[in-house]
Amino acid sequence: MGSSIAQKRLFHEYKNLSTNPPEGITAGPVSEDDMFYWEALIQGPEGTPFEGGVFAAELKFSKDYPLSPPTMKFVGGGVWHPNVYPNGTVCISILHPPGDDPNHYEHASERWSPIQSVEKILISVMSMLAEPNDESPANVEAAKMWRERRAEYEQKVRDEVRKGLGL
Amino acid sequence: MDSFDVPDSTDWLETPLSLLAPLESSLRCQVCKDFFNNPVITSCSHTFCSLCIRRCLSTEGKCPVCRSSDQELKLRRNWAVQEFVETFQNARQSVLDLARKEAARLKDGDSTIREPSPKKRKVDRVDVREEVTVVQASPRRARTRSQRIKNDAPNTEPVPVAQETIEVIEDSQDEGEEEYVPDDGMVACPICQRKMKAHAVFSHLDTCQGITPAPPPPSKPSAFSVAHSSLQPQPNRLQSSPGNAPERIPAMNYSLLKDNLLRKKLRELGIPDWGPRPLLQRRHTEWMNLWNSNCDSRIPKTKRALLQELDIWERTQGGHAAGPSPFATNSAVMRKDFDAAGWSASHDTDFKRLIANARIKSDTQVRSTIPGASEKSTGESSTGSAAPVAPVEAPPDNGIPVESNQNIEPRSFDPSG
Repeated sequence: MGSSIAQKRLFHEYKNLSTNPPEGITAGPVSEDDMFYWEALIQGPEGTPFEGGVFAAELKFSKDYPLSPPTMKFVGGGVWHPNVYPNGTVCISILHPPGDDPNHYEHASERWSPIQSVEKILISVMSMLAEPNDESPANVEAAKMWRERRAEYEQKVRDEVRKGLGL
Repeated sequence: MDSFDVPDSTDWLETPLSLLAPLESSLRCQVCKDFFNNPVITSCSHTFCSLCIRRCLSTEGKCPVCRSSDQELKLRRNWAVQEFVETFQNARQSVLDLARKEAARLKDGDSTIREPSPKKRKVDRVDVREEVTVVQASPRRARTRSQRIKNDAPNTEPVPVAQETIEVIEDSQDEGEEEYVPDDGMVACPICQRKMKAHAVFSHLDTCQGITPAPPPPSKPSAFSVAHSSLQPQPNRLQSSPGNAPERIPAMNYSLLKDNLLRKKLRELGIPDWGPRPLLQRRHTEWMNLWNSNCDSRIPKTKRALLQELDIWERTQGGHAAGPSPFATNSAVMRKDFDAAGWSASHDTDFKRLIANARIKSDTQVRSTIPGASEKSTGESSTGSAAPVAPVEAPPDNGIPVESNQNIEPRSFDPSG
């Protein structure tokens, strides 16, 4: 039995993330039996309404990773954000393969490439929380609120964060 | 956690040699994160494992780093990187062991050792230099020194650092010179290894046949000859056995090939030819990548080993892959290794229901065609008119009921249903 390229690569990434984790980010496979299903925890970036929150997300990898990007979905409570679908799925350019650009606004250079990594995805998502991309909203309501009623948006986000912490 | 304990550049971070982490990272392929295996360089001057970049190019046709278009044909082997990797890998474990020992020692002795007095600084620096040459830089000293520098005089900071760096560079150059400059002032032809005066090499190269058996390379008793000897005869070996070098498999334009021709091609290559067309294409591409990257190897694997790698691919991404692969479902029943017992067990209730339906249907049929025959039908299963009843009588768990019932209600046997 040999493990596939995808598995080996995910081993490497896991080891790298556990010995040298970036600030505010934790990630790893849910079970050692399945390297293709990970859970990640992201701290809300400081100086944003997400500050103080901890957001859990699941990452699913395809068998031909890293040729194809994984998918990422916030779990356990919505993240009210223009680039996060109401079901939690994250819509960010680094998760999109360069081949298809359904939104026609992303530069190929921002999108997935086999040299990207879980770490880079999570860092991108963190900065996405701080600075939403207004161009292709996944959550139209949130995008509208962010654009037109910023105070209300920030209050709603803070409320969600509180709720998520059980306060 | 043992299964996750892969060697990694982060191994250095906990040791005093943490600066080796970026060095090790740079010797690893950015696609697979492993040490470069048969490194090749692209037209845009990025280096990857041969297999990794071939897979990328066959899916996307672009360099993963800079996304400029490239072709497999333009990939060139990168021997220098291969040499770095091999020599680094040879040294890695012993250096890491030393570094870890030192880290442990520092941890134990941390409380007793205080910052040395400024008087000792000069002596310290000399020590460090000497130790660097045997790849055993004293980390404690390095650290305390930098702390000290920060503490007292920020102006002097760059000076000792630069000194130390220069020291290391000179040192490695020295080694290189010892290795590469021959004592007799002669230079070996890169093809036939014959020694000659330096200015004669270029004119010789124009005519060099490379056929004459090379004289044994001059023995060099230096400690480094071990690492180099594995690499140096390599152009020689490639040159001397061009017939043995495996031929590369050319890329195919799949759209020009009909199914049967494609299957024939796979058979000719000696790889499995079953499965629907998209799987055939993917399998051919994978085989082409495995094969051609093997051609880049200094020590090519056997075809058998490659077939095993293709088998791993088949199980993880190809036709035997579990999960939502579009290739796993429809053709499953048709395959030789199809698990008939498992299938009939998991679909037992479906089969029973269908058999019941079939029985009712055939009973009514028999009744309508041969009035009064329904009571006799069981006993007369061997006669022509009652033949359709026979398979219905078979116990459902006996063999594969699929075939016997297929004629009666084929719709229900759509495996996706």
